[in-house]
Amino acid sequence: MSDASSGSSEAGPDHEHEHHEHEGPGYATPQAAIEEGDRENLAYVMSLYVGTDVDASDFVAVVDLDPDSETYCEIVDRIEMPEKGDELHHFGWNACSSSCHMEGLERRHLIVPGQRSSRIHVIDTKDRRNPELVEVIEPEEVFEHDLSAPHTVHCVPDGEIMISMLGDADGELPGGFLQLNDDFEIEGRWDPPGEIEMNYDYWYQPRQNVMVSSEWAAPKTYYPGFDLDDVEAGNYGRKLHFWDWEAGTVEQTIDLGEEGLIPLEVRFLHTPESTHGFVGAALSSNVFHFWEDDGEYRAEKVIDFESREHPDWDMPVPALPTDILISMDDRYLFGSNWLHGDIWMYDVSDPSNPRRADSLSIGGTFGEIQEVQGRELAAGPQMIQLSLDGERLYWTTSLFSSWDDQFYPEEAERGSVMLKADVDPRNGTLELDEEFLVDWGELPEGPARAHEIRWPDGDCTSDVWQ
Amino acid sequence: MARHEVTLDWVGGQTRMIDVDEDETVLAAAQRAGAPLPLPYGCRTGACGTCVGRLLSIEGSEAAGDDGRTAESIDVADAFAYRREPRALKPRHRDDGYVLLCIARPRANSRVAVGSRVQSELVDNPWK
Ligand code: FES
Repeated sequence: MSDASSGSSEAGPDHEHEHHEHEGPGYATPQAAIEEGDRENLAYVMSLYVGTDVDASDFVAVVDLDPDSETYCEIVDRIEMPEKGDELHHFGWNACSSSCHMEGLERRHLIVPGQRSSRIHVIDTKDRRNPELVEVIEPEEVFEHDLSAPHTVHCVPDGEIMISMLGDADGELPGGFLQLNDDFEIEGRWDPPGEIEMNYDYWYQPRQNVMVSSEWAAPKTYYPGFDLDDVEAGNYGRKLHFWDWEAGTVEQTIDLGEEGLIPLEVRFLHTPESTHGFVGAALSSNVFHFWEDDGEYRAEKVIDFESREHPDWDMPVPALPTDILISMDDRYLFGSNWLHGDIWMYDVSDPSNPRRADSLSIGGTFGEIQEVQGRELAAGPQMIQLSLDGERLYWTTSLFSSWDDQFYPEEAERGSVMLKADVDPRNGTLELDEEFLVDWGELPEGPARAHEIRWPDGDCTSDVWQ
Repeated sequence: MARHEVTLDWVGGQTRMIDVDEDETVLAAAQRAGAPLPLPYGCRTGACGTCVGRLLSIEGSEAAGDDGRTAESIDVADAFAYRREPRALKPRHRDDGYVLLCIARPRANSRVAVGSRVQSELVDNPWK
């Protein structure tokens, strides 16, 4: 185990090298991440004002997660974006464990795109507590490649960075992938245009030479809010694409059908040999398992969340599982049902037969717990992040500004919160930590929304192994 | 250079008149004028819908009805010329007088409902 159990969070990139032999960033294996990784003492959290009347830019919040610190549960620093209107959403590292063979490369720069602006920011986290904005790629440079609406950021094993892009320069289809070099300059498109129409999240498994990507919709479809007419018109995605990772071409597309509407977060197991993974279909409220069988990928629905009747709603309310993640030991699948207000964990030791372990009913439309420390919850659990050792699960509550306004209008006035549950991986249980609350409702400029969460030294949704 | 007066009417709040050049967008003019409240925006290319306003009246024509909705006779095209296609608006939104202020250039004096609440009118919760 690490020597830094508390206090210092200045653990720079060199720090990792005390623990293991390899040259580059990250950890040699998922198991090494569990054993050698420090407790998460800081979190970086996407925080946003876009679409409100608050006159401030979106920012990256630095949250103190060290229980021994005087500023535990506080936002201790904010890296403000130079322009307003970005809608910070998802972000990623310049390097992860997939580059752990690359001498001289550091997990140090955060690539922070604006979903609405298409502006891409680079933040240097050399000083973990006081990171600094160092580069900005302006939207016009992105539009030159006929792409817009950046989403998932992963580094690729040789120091380059790839970003899934949901639209073309006009916010229409098709989307694609933008590649940055290690100087944070746009190198061009990664994929030949026309391989896919819709895009959203992606994950790659280099040892298997495979990448999988999912589908939301054209930016002009989802930007203004969710519209059932668009579902009927077929404007929302329901497919998974399996790519040849080396060639950058789609080898196979699986249509998940009516039960697989809006497949969002997609995760391979961490074990680099594995071809198994999961994707959450948000609108149909299902989770699909996918795997390779004799050279072909297959997908099957393995979890089905039933819609629920609510006295104040006209129609049965779907669960809307908007985020999922897999624990570093590949044993548990966690997820959030944003509309119902559930955080859940399934044992996926046998990935084709997930077994429900536990869930927490909190916030959202049905949550049994509607406030924490007297703070009313304005929305359901949304983006989740798990500690490397699998013992602490954290989440925030904002999905996307215009969708928040539709489903949880109060969130604009109250702001988001970050909450935490203690996980017992041995017994497969979740328990809300009532002592833990980070409140985005109390900021000087006004309430802000909070979205994706990352740890400084790698986490369950950004690290990939070669 | 022709200029037009655009009155910005924050839903549930203040009102402010600004002068907008014919080749300038309402959003840019509001920023230049330092309107009392900022107008929300995102993409600035007419794709995201964040900057949406609702046209209330043109020139001397009657203001909106009691429900605050645009009178049916009002056509956005009489008040604004778009710099490019307003992609974030569906036909029904265009017919209802919604206008994307990041790409709208004035062609007449008008009054527009603005602020973040206009965006939340665009789509409602389909289950409720
Ligand atoms: S700012 Fe995006 S449509 Fe105007």
